[in-house]
Amino acid sequence: MSYILNRVFSMMLTLFLISAITFAVTNILPGDVAMMIMGTQSNPEALAGLRETLGLNDPLLVQYGRWVGGMLTGDWGSSLVFKEPIAPLLLQKMTASGLLVLFSMAIALTCAIPLGVWAAVHANRWQDTAASSTAMLGVSLPDFFWGIMLILLFARGLGWLPSSGFVDPGDDLGAAVRHALLPSLALGLGLMAHLTRMTRATMTGILKQEFIRVARAKGLNESTVVWRYGLANAVGPVMTVAGLQVGYLFGSIIVIESLFNYTGMGWLTYQALLNRDIPLIQASVFVIAAVVMLANLIVDLLYAVVDPRIRLS
Amino acid sequence: MPIDQEPLVSVDKLRVEFRGEDGPIVGVENISFSIAPGETVCVVGESGSGKSVTSLSLMRLVEFGGGRITSGRLGFSLNGEQIDLAQTDSETMQAIRGDEIGMIFQEPMTSLNPVFTIERQMTDGLRVHRGLSRTKARARALELLQQVRIPEPERRLTQYPHELSGGMRQRVMIAMAMACEPRLLIADEPTTALDVTIQAEILALIDRLKRETGMAVLFITHDMAVVAQMADRVVVMYRGKLVEEGPVERIFAAPQEEYTRKLLAAVPRLGEMRGKPAPEPMRLVGEETAQASPTPIDAAPEPLLKVSNLTTRYPVKGGLFRRTIANVHAVEDVSFDIGRGQTLALVGESGCGKSSCGRSILRLSEPTSGQVLLDRTDILALNNRDLRRRAWRDMQMVFQDPFASLNPYMRLRDQVAEPIRNFAIKTAGTVEDRVAELFDRVDLPRSFMSRFPHELSGGQRQRVAIARALAVNPKLIIADEAVSALDVSVQAQVLNLMMELQAELGVSYLFISHDMAVVERVAHRVGVMYLGRLVEIGSRQQVFENPQHSYTKSLLSAVPVADPTQRNIRDDLNFRPIPSPVFPLGHIPAPSIYDEVAPGHQVLRAQMGLGLD
Repeated sequence: MSYILNRVFSMMLTLFLISAITFAVTNILPGDVAMMIMGTQSNPEALAGLRETLGLNDPLLVQYGRWVGGMLTGDWGSSLVFKEPIAPLLLQKMTASGLLVLFSMAIALTCAIPLGVWAAVHANRWQDTAASSTAMLGVSLPDFFWGIMLILLFARGLGWLPSSGFVDPGDDLGAAVRHALLPSLALGLGLMAHLTRMTRATMTGILKQEFIRVARAKGLNESTVVWRYGLANAVGPVMTVAGLQVGYLFGSIIVIESLFNYTGMGWLTYQALLNRDIPLIQASVFVIAAVVMLANLIVDLLYAVVDPRIRLS
Repeated sequence: MPIDQEPLVSVDKLRVEFRGEDGPIVGVENISFSIAPGETVCVVGESGSGKSVTSLSLMRLVEFGGGRITSGRLGFSLNGEQIDLAQTDSETMQAIRGDEIGMIFQEPMTSLNPVFTIERQMTDGLRVHRGLSRTKARARALELLQQVRIPEPERRLTQYPHELSGGMRQRVMIAMAMACEPRLLIADEPTTALDVTIQAEILALIDRLKRETGMAVLFITHDMAVVAQMADRVVVMYRGKLVEEGPVERIFAAPQEEYTRKLLAAVPRLGEMRGKPAPEPMRLVGEETAQASPTPIDAAPEPLLKVSNLTTRYPVKGGLFRRTIANVHAVEDVSFDIGRGQTLALVGESGCGKSSCGRSILRLSEPTSGQVLLDRTDILALNNRDLRRRAWRDMQMVFQDPFASLNPYMRLRDQVAEPIRNFAIKTAGTVEDRVAELFDRVDLPRSFMSRFPHELSGGQRQRVAIARALAVNPKLIIADEAVSALDVSVQAQVLNLMMELQAELGVSYLFISHDMAVVERVAHRVGVMYLGRLVEIGSRQQVFENPQHSYTKSLLSAVPVADPTQRNIRDDLNFRPIPSPVFPLGHIPAPSIYDEVAPGHQVLRAQMGLGLD
């Protein structure tokens, strides 16, 4: 329990730092919110007036304090581009992207674990070489390449799945899944390759351990030895790497969502950056950071479930 | 003793090959021996002798390590029928493993699955082989834990391996191997990783279970003393071949083969130094014994090293801000002297603080308090620069694992030359000449100078480590378990080398070891440590021939004697876990008060909170 508190506390601290950094960076960039609202050709007096009303002439620290206060009380401001309140906008886009991240993680894990274990069991034989080189291929190619390939194959070629667009799961669940499938696959392939290599490396080490030999000496059959005794020990490390990859996925969705015209967080952030929508940039960076950290916290807590050695009283 | 009935196991001309880079490598060949029901056969040999390969072949586990049984028969009597395990299909083997043949391995710390409870690991074999229900399997597991005399067996079932001590884990392993009442128990170095008192308990336990159940035991070991205590018959192996086989009394009394004689000669036997005042080198068959000239019995009245009230504590961190919440009292109020050209041995079991003590003298671990005087220099008062320049020039260390203490990317020449350069030691000729001279001194060919560590054997590497320590002409060498990782014949050579160097150069040793028989050979004085305290210190004769402290006595009586006519394995009843050296922050331990029972022989008074009897 004190471990969880400890983690939550350090997470708060990190979030605070992130908020300060994003706020500072967006303020250093040329152009401010007033200019964005009124355009570059606007009347200097009106601009100054707007700056005054928006409080842009206050010291940075005061502005930062106002922003943090707003974030904490649920008043996240409005997007300049979308002319909408930011909080519900982010919630909707985060749901869309969360779907992608979950799908791609599920695809990656369900393929990577069996493949990695299989490669480890046949370590240094053709099966291993095959699995490892396939994984290497996946790791070395960027995911937009897989995106283009998938569009060509499944959308253009076979016509099984839509090549772009987003459907809200609340409106039509089936269509939502169909639209999410290709971008998830594009994200998941690289991830899968990475996790396969990780699973293989972890399992190769575990299968050399004495307790595996002991399990065999007890007369357990080989599948119990590998899939229960072995894999139970690999779950923790693989899960940790998967958790760290959530951060990488949120980086990748900026490209993939734009490629598939999938209007989630990545697409939103990209639009915000393109249009210098400063309040939206600040809020979305903050939300992405919070989600990534939350994912890692969950992984760490799950670790304690799968490995009794780190179960803390 | 051989029992007159059909053998349970008959190995005939076994040959095992391993895949190598350039074709197959022979693991063992032409191995033949048999085991009768109720008999203990010890297979003994040094590393690389193929003793483990032989036992793994019987279980057909050798295949999982890349080995292949290429010829020979592994006869096993199953339900009154003789079958050949070498030809048995994998399903039948699975049915035999854990049911007919149980196996215990060397490392109790790694042989249990860290993420499963003891109950799950103890019951899955029972459920597979006996088809027991969960509750019935649990009841049987409980019964087994009681049989191996684990305290609080119910609680152990729900625990995970990391919550148990090494000795307890090995008991769990034995209980697990015994689960289906196997007719053959294979024990592969089951006590090698354990402390001597726990070893005595485990050996007694295996012996008792064997007598109670009538199973046969195949006992793999490198330790001749354990062989003498356990075996009915002995199989001696060397480099994958069987050297000699026979009843244990005959092997010890009248070994037929040269190798067996060499092996036995290299074994230090506790008690054989009785009545001798000075250390003596080992007799090595086939080599003329370099008679070390008797070391001067410290003519100078002033000792080289004077350690007073040395205390080292390690903080235990915890809580939200990683504050110190307790202290490990690793070394607690320890005082001793080491004379010039003399060896003080610190003995004790793992965790007793002997290594911490050595490290504290060098300030590799910073002591909490106390005084260390080397030639009247106050080591603890030196600043970092002087510590490096002066103290570490006069004191060098040789570590246990020569594989880890040499840099794998550096040529040996450079590794030995490094301290000469670092300390800017003046040499008569070039640095290269000095290195060559050091290689001569530790009996390594000069051609080794341009080699890398992986090209050397363990004993040769340890010689390099000694040469490196000698490079700065130190006054004191701290040897922390320096020969523990070596095979017994190599160990004897390295020990003799160390004693020769002492006679020639007058260097002093702080010899840290858990091996009482080795210590009896090499030490002038002996200190026994327990829970961070020095419980007894005196001359070698005083400590070994007239031990006073109860811990020294129990330690000495637990050492197996390499003589089959003196079996001293006792009953395994006195299971006594060592108390924890972790104390809360404010804890002020009582000072160590010693009684001088004879000149130079001091014994810790009372129990000083040691948790003994």
